[in-house]
Amino acid sequence: MIGFIQSVLNILLLPGLAFTLIASILLAGIDRVLVARMQRRVGPPVLQPLYDVLKCLGKETIVPRKANEKVFLLAPAVGLISVLVTAMFLPIGNVSAIRTNADMIVILYLLTLASVTLIVGSAASGSPFAGVGLSREMVAMISYELPLVMVMLTVGFVCGNGLATFSLAKIGAYQAANGPLLLNPVLWPAAIALLFVIPCEVGQQPFDIDEAETEICEGVLAEYSGKPLAQFKMMHNVKMYVMSGLFCALFLNIQTGFFLADILIYCVSCVLVTFVSMSVPHAVTARFRVEQVFKFYWTVVTGCAALSLILVWIGL
Amino acid sequence: MLFDLDKKINEAIDDAASKSLWLYHINAGSCNGCDIEIVAALTPRYDAERLGCKLTGSPRQADIVLVSGPVTLQSRDRLIRTLAQVPEPYCLVTVGSCPCSGNVFKGSYAVCGPVDKYRHVDVSVAGCTPKPEAIMAGIAQAAAILKEKRKGMHE
Amino acid sequence: MENFPILAIMTLFMGAFINSLVGRRSHKARVAVVFTTMAISLLLVVSMVPAVMFRGEIITYWMGGWAPEAGWAYGIGLEVDALSLFFGLIVTIAVMVSGTYSFTYMKRDDSQVNFYTLFLMLAGSVLGLVLSGDLFNIFVMVEIMTFTAVALTAFRNDTEGALEGAFKYLVVGSLGSVSILTGTILIYGCLHTLNLAQIADLAIHTRNPVMVVAFGFLFVGFCTKAFMFPFQPLAADAHAVAPASISMMISGVLTKCGVYGMIRLVYVLFQNIGQTHVQYLVTGMGCLTMFICVTMAFNQHNFKRLLAFHSISQVGYVITAIGLGTAVGLGAGLYHAINHTLFKGLLFLVAGAVQHQTGTLDLDELGGLSKKMPKTTLLFLIGAASISGIPPFNGFASKWMIYQSIFSKAVNTGNIFFLLVCIVALLTSVLTLASFVKVAQSVFFGQCAVLCRDAEECEKGMRIPMWVLAILCVVLGLFPDQFGELFLKPAAGAAMGADVYAAAMLSGKAVTSMPAIYGYIGTWSPIVWIVLLLIVTAGMTIFSVSAPIRKPEALGEGEVEDEHVLPENAKYEPFFSGEESVHSHVTGSDLFWGFKENWKKYFSFWHDWHSGIVNDYELYGVVFLAAALIYCILFI
Repeated sequence: MIGFIQSVLNILLLPGLAFTLIASILLAGIDRVLVARMQRRVGPPVLQPLYDVLKCLGKETIVPRKANEKVFLLAPAVGLISVLVTAMFLPIGNVSAIRTNADMIVILYLLTLASVTLIVGSAASGSPFAGVGLSREMVAMISYELPLVMVMLTVGFVCGNGLATFSLAKIGAYQAANGPLLLNPVLWPAAIALLFVIPCEVGQQPFDIDEAETEICEGVLAEYSGKPLAQFKMMHNVKMYVMSGLFCALFLNIQTGFFLADILIYCVSCVLVTFVSMSVPHAVTARFRVEQVFKFYWTVVTGCAALSLILVWIGL
Repeated sequence: MLFDLDKKINEAIDDAASKSLWLYHINAGSCNGCDIEIVAALTPRYDAERLGCKLTGSPRQADIVLVSGPVTLQSRDRLIRTLAQVPEPYCLVTVGSCPCSGNVFKGSYAVCGPVDKYRHVDVSVAGCTPKPEAIMAGIAQAAAILKEKRKGMHE
Repeated sequence: MENFPILAIMTLFMGAFINSLVGRRSHKARVAVVFTTMAISLLLVVSMVPAVMFRGEIITYWMGGWAPEAGWAYGIGLEVDALSLFFGLIVTIAVMVSGTYSFTYMKRDDSQVNFYTLFLMLAGSVLGLVLSGDLFNIFVMVEIMTFTAVALTAFRNDTEGALEGAFKYLVVGSLGSVSILTGTILIYGCLHTLNLAQIADLAIHTRNPVMVVAFGFLFVGFCTKAFMFPFQPLAADAHAVAPASISMMISGVLTKCGVYGMIRLVYVLFQNIGQTHVQYLVTGMGCLTMFICVTMAFNQHNFKRLLAFHSISQVGYVITAIGLGTAVGLGAGLYHAINHTLFKGLLFLVAGAVQHQTGTLDLDELGGLSKKMPKTTLLFLIGAASISGIPPFNGFASKWMIYQSIFSKAVNTGNIFFLLVCIVALLTSVLTLASFVKVAQSVFFGQCAVLCRDAEECEKGMRIPMWVLAILCVVLGLFPDQFGELFLKPAAGAAMGADVYAAAMLSGKAVTSMPAIYGYIGTWSPIVWIVLLLIVTAGMTIFSVSAPIRKPEALGEGEVEDEHVLPENAKYEPFFSGEESVHSHVTGSDLFWGFKENWKKYFSFWHDWHSGIVNDYELYGVVFLAAALIYCILFI
């Protein structure tokens, strides 16, 4: 009974729902502040993403005449739920809300599902801008999926003791015993590859080709307003947290034995990852073109991931 | 409901309406002077993001619609159509003298302004061209109006 | 019980005969005969499930009572082990669904009596193939299957390309038949028997070059029947023109015969799947097939051609998993085989419904059907989610098992080849998703195209079979553990236990052992569902406290397109940068520019390769045959 209550609390409160919501809002806010400071401005309040989401909730929801209403309204909800469930799998130290023996594949699929809801929702809106946007989103997905898979295979292979593992708990246990994987120089290329994958997966500035507001009028979100828009914006925030948390789980899982210290370390490393992978590229580069994104990911980033994979494979 | 939860959420939403302002900019035949000033207001020097401002690409997501230019014949239908597509509540802010009076273009056969012939204008920022500070002040006023509009929506 | 296999087969052939006698009278007579036949056959096959699947028995039947004498099998035998029955189930279920769908779908065609006669003969031959215990019988059934399938492909011979597609299928398909026949002859010359069990018994002790060549011929033959890599243009041409229910049969059932033959060949007859080079051959062909076909599907403009390439790509998954030679891999392959029949059948039937209601399959001409055919759209989304491997549908579970089996194979052997296969498999999955996004956008979503304005929801007679497949898709996705325990384990065990197979046929009953193939799936713990429920509730709360959605009142439901709307009333029009909204739909060929641009050379190479000339295809087949034979002689 106590175990059940504990797992429900884990799901609802600490590594789970409540923590995810708070962390994702704060993380997205911190990212915006960081970008602002790098451009020497004051920037928005840290809670700005929360205000954005709340404001969108308070606005009128317009369903365009040419849209398929059910899919149009359902897609954002499914997307938000899928990223929230993804967040359940992320461990803080050695505690996670849901634990399976193949977390990484589930995470991979749920993140794909989130992107698919964005695509399907925009397809249902009937706007040609959304059509262009979904095409770009799909190309971005093809671009980052290959390096992401290779990074996951590499980490799974290192932590599996001969047998590959897809379980984040096992990866955490390995890191508790041998120190964070980021200290292993063989895995540095993989870590760099994952750092590049994060902004594209989240749809952050230099890789936000799917909702380029200046070219294709917000692309996939062109027809969204009100509540569904709020859900998509929240999905974006949660995705940001999920991807930083995934990096921490794979490369920076530091366990001290004290849960509070673990939480603190986890939060700090999440912010660090966000800073390195999302804020800095956002502040220093302009938006890529779609075929540049594809080329970049299939050459440079995949190359990094493959380098690590081969190094690990030949036993370094 | 429990602890008046819905009331509190509604209050938070009203509050957020004045803190998150997404701008959509319509050029209704402007000479580009005001457009440049609007962009200037968004640059790091003036930092409109302090107020929660963000430029969006679609009227469906706009809270504040900035209109510049004297509303030419060519742009009239497009202006009206785009304004119709903005979800409630939103604020219409005109930037520069042209949208409120026609300025030097007044009387031309090709000018159908001013904007308030077609839609209620919430804030007019005057000047040819207005300074970024003035535009920022206009946006801040619009934020207060937005909050009132949002409050008026759930009564 | 031992009469059931032959009865199940003969019922279908008898049904074909009776149908051609009485079917001319009326539609009702046809429906009655065909439906009864299919139902009896399905019941007979299902009634064998408890004994064969759950108790591990093997049912043998000797035609005319010609039981083996002194350890030599002279007669023609039927042998149903769990593997045969697994494929038997796939076949009968697919036949049932496809036949029921045809009753409504084919209503507008003439000479339907011929259609159902051929259809039942096709069904009977396929069932005969998978239940047969005799190599020559397999060849005979392959021949019947190929010829009926060719006739059915060309059934709508007034459509453009129907005869052409059928002709290509006939010519290049005969290469496969010839290969199987040659392999059979060589084996007979070497071992003096045609009985599968006896061959399995003798072949492991007979390792000579002739047997290796026979293996190569049979391998190429079954590759042809499964439309593996150099033969995939046939499938595309045949699928594009065949009636949808026949497309479902070709993709769901005929390719499964190739898969079944492949499993029998490498696991039971030659038992050489343990050799690394056989694994390279089978897995390599599977991997090549799945990648090339999925990229080919990217460029298709015809709904059913696109589905055809995907169908072959998924068969590539199955063959890849089978080629691993592990129990988990075989289980995963079998699981994906049945899932492929279900979701691919569903997608083909949806394509048929779209064609039936709009009259076209061109992705560039369709659009916005989701408002006209909402139920079909839902069915399509279920099928597309299944084939793209999105949880909780069945494609997710089986693809997941495939990845796990490939990856554990790679780790256990330390062989980088399998690691590459694993990466290609995961990549193929993303590309599959991409092309189904393309179909969803061009056919069902977006703005309503001119051709689709008068489209209506398809009839119930077509929707019910589709729903059956869709529900099976969901059920198999939700209960992978139970399904694996009940069906995959016995089937994989039967394939792995060739000695039991031989013993059962030659000397009486034996019980199959069941290997532990599971322990991989088991991730969907109930707690996940509790969480989902809670989150959905929380989401609903957020929904309920914020403002209600306003619906367009004055303008109706948007039935009329391209009508002039006053600027003031444009609130619910799509945003067109302020312009008046016009018909603008981003369709198939406009999508994925960034991807296509970078792969231009690759795509143009394959574009030229698929020349559409039957001589070329035959040449590829012969080259492939030669290459496979050389490979077999050199390495096996």
